[in-house]
Amino acid sequence: MSLRISEAVIWQETGEGVSLYNTETGDFHSLNDTGSRIWRLVASDGEREPVMFKLSREFAGSNSAMSRRIVADVEEFLGAMIEQGLIEEIPAEEPAVKEESLS
Amino acid sequence: MSRAVVLGGGLAGVLAAAVLAGHADEVVLVEGDRYPSGPRPRRGLPQSHHSHVLVAGGARALDALLPGTVDALLANGAHLRGLPGDALIYSADGWFHRLHTDAHLISCTRGLLDQVVRRRALGGGDVEVWEDTRALGLTGDEARITGVSVSRQGAPPETVRADLVVDATGRRSQSPRWLAQIGAGEVEEVSVATGLAYATRLYQAPGDLAAAIPAIMLHPGTAKGQPARGATLFPVEDRRWIVTLTGTRGGEPPTDEQGFTAFARSLRHPIVADLMAEATPLGVVRPYRDTVNRRRFFERARLPAGFAVVGDAAVAVNPVHSHGMSVAALGALRLREELARHGLGPSLFAGLQAALAAEAERSWRMAIEQDGERVTERAGERVTERAGERVTERAGLDGAPRREPNAFELEIRTRLAQAKLSSPRLAADFFGVQTLISGDTATDRSEIARVLTGRPEPLLTGEEAIGQYPVLAAWRRSRFAAATS
Ligand SMILES: Cc1cc2nc3c(=O)[nH]c(=O)nc-3n(C[C@H](O)[C@H](O)[C@H](O)COP(=O)(O)OP(=O)(O)OC[C@H]3O[C@@H](n4cnc5c(N)ncnc54)[C@H](O)[C@@H]3O)c2cc1C
Repeated sequence: MSLRISEAVIWQETGEGVSLYNTETGDFHSLNDTGSRIWRLVASDGEREPVMFKLSREFAGSNSAMSRRIVADVEEFLGAMIEQGLIEEIPAEEPAVKEESLS
Repeated sequence: MSRAVVLGGGLAGVLAAAVLAGHADEVVLVEGDRYPSGPRPRRGLPQSHHSHVLVAGGARALDALLPGTVDALLANGAHLRGLPGDALIYSADGWFHRLHTDAHLISCTRGLLDQVVRRRALGGGDVEVWEDTRALGLTGDEARITGVSVSRQGAPPETVRADLVVDATGRRSQSPRWLAQIGAGEVEEVSVATGLAYATRLYQAPGDLAAAIPAIMLHPGTAKGQPARGATLFPVEDRRWIVTLTGTRGGEPPTDEQGFTAFARSLRHPIVADLMAEATPLGVVRPYRDTVNRRRFFERARLPAGFAVVGDAAVAVNPVHSHGMSVAALGALRLREELARHGLGPSLFAGLQAALAAEAERSWRMAIEQDGERVTERAGERVTERAGERVTERAGLDGAPRREPNAFELEIRTRLAQAKLSSPRLAADFFGVQTLISGDTATDRSEIARVLTGRPEPLLTGEEAIGQYPVLAAWRRSRFAAATS
């Protein structure tokens, strides 16, 4: 399964991290630092594995207990995003979607 | 013999009486005023000097109640204006494009509207109308209303027995006090101040422009800390225009000749002032100040059986939304449905007031979202903050409490607000809600995504906006030519 940002989401990098607007619901969201980092990785890599890998290397180094915690946290974050329809899971062969941003 | 008594013969009362005539053996309409012989304002209806437009949702309801009424209004000189297809609107976000939607309004004087409605609603003779008769109080107890006390033409009070009493006495209704006098429960009341003042004047319009003119609305701008000042000009019957100037505290429109003109001239665009200069004033400038949003939650009180409240007496909103008459018509339609289901008997009363209140809910919510920084709940001396807070503005995902909108959010909001000026689908949504023909959830999400990812449409200049209306553009050209020759 690949990950992609929902077409219903308009998002932008701001000084405080990533800000999102869900055009389906009219809701605004701001992500904290870690959430913003995950979001950017989903946007650029579009796959669960590289996202996990990069984050655990970045924050856990070779500490495997830490690495497990990070994987759990990222899963939780992605689960919440998927539940809210902000990120979608798609079968791997479909190409990930382009970034939707304000023109 | 069943008898229903309706107190107050304004729009809500007249329509309620007409509906009740199909269900009670006898219907009496008690009106404190005397009706004028023609389409004129009257003492009991001080707001009848001011602009009264009937929005699409109300026009449909009125036609469902009294088929053919809208056509009769138009035949008597009322004007239909599409929104925003036949309306020059300068909103806080910019000028609207001339887009055609189902939303519209009917414009005529309140005097004409009432006269046409009265004739059709009461003309059949099924309703007994007692003019010059004041309602003084209710009779009965906390469980059951048995009648009403009235004074006919200043005579000593008499009691009129009734199976149902409907209060339609408008903004100044005494029902909460009357209920307390017979030992019934307290009625919770919420008011949201508007600080808004009206000043209105009628004009005889110049020949070519008189009836062809679009509806014109200049809304206040967005400048913070400044009074919100605006104007409307609507064509009404007999080749007249009605101009209403509005302003919030510190920016109230003056009622003297010069001040009225100067106020119009000082608005964000001079079009209304220019048109006023072209027309002949008829009569004086009329003020109006009682514009508070006020709701009495009769549906939450332990109401005695045999009693209901309709129209402004229950829910009165800031008149700037132009909803009151439409809500009165929608309420009468709902009364008809409830009567059809339950008849005029005990099973009617359990849910009647809640059903009537539901018809006013949309309008009330829209009004307090715009006006409601603070809601004062008088019943419990409770103060609720920011009634207007949108549900969508929840805490951020990181659990942090909501802070001020950031630049991204402001940009999205601005883009959306401006997109509705030129997107036919967003304009249809917006005016559909404003004119009570669609629910407030009718937002076209795919169009929102489209306008946010596409290139923004440039905003119209005042000249371009006016240029959309050939009749106005021609008038401006001839005016300019006259000034320079
Ligand atoms: C300045 C202004 C502009 C407005 N513009 C618009 C608009 O553009 N569009 C719109 O839809 N709505 C508008 N409204 C709202 C509209 O006027 C009301 O919502 C509408 O009139 C509701 O009518 P009603 O029958 O409930 O009350 P009212 O029309 O106020 O009628 C109440 C009636 O009860 C009578 N009465 C009062 N007390 C007694 C008593 N004790 N005994 C017997 N009779 C009594 C009065 O004489 C009157 O006839 C505006 C209101 C104002 C104030």
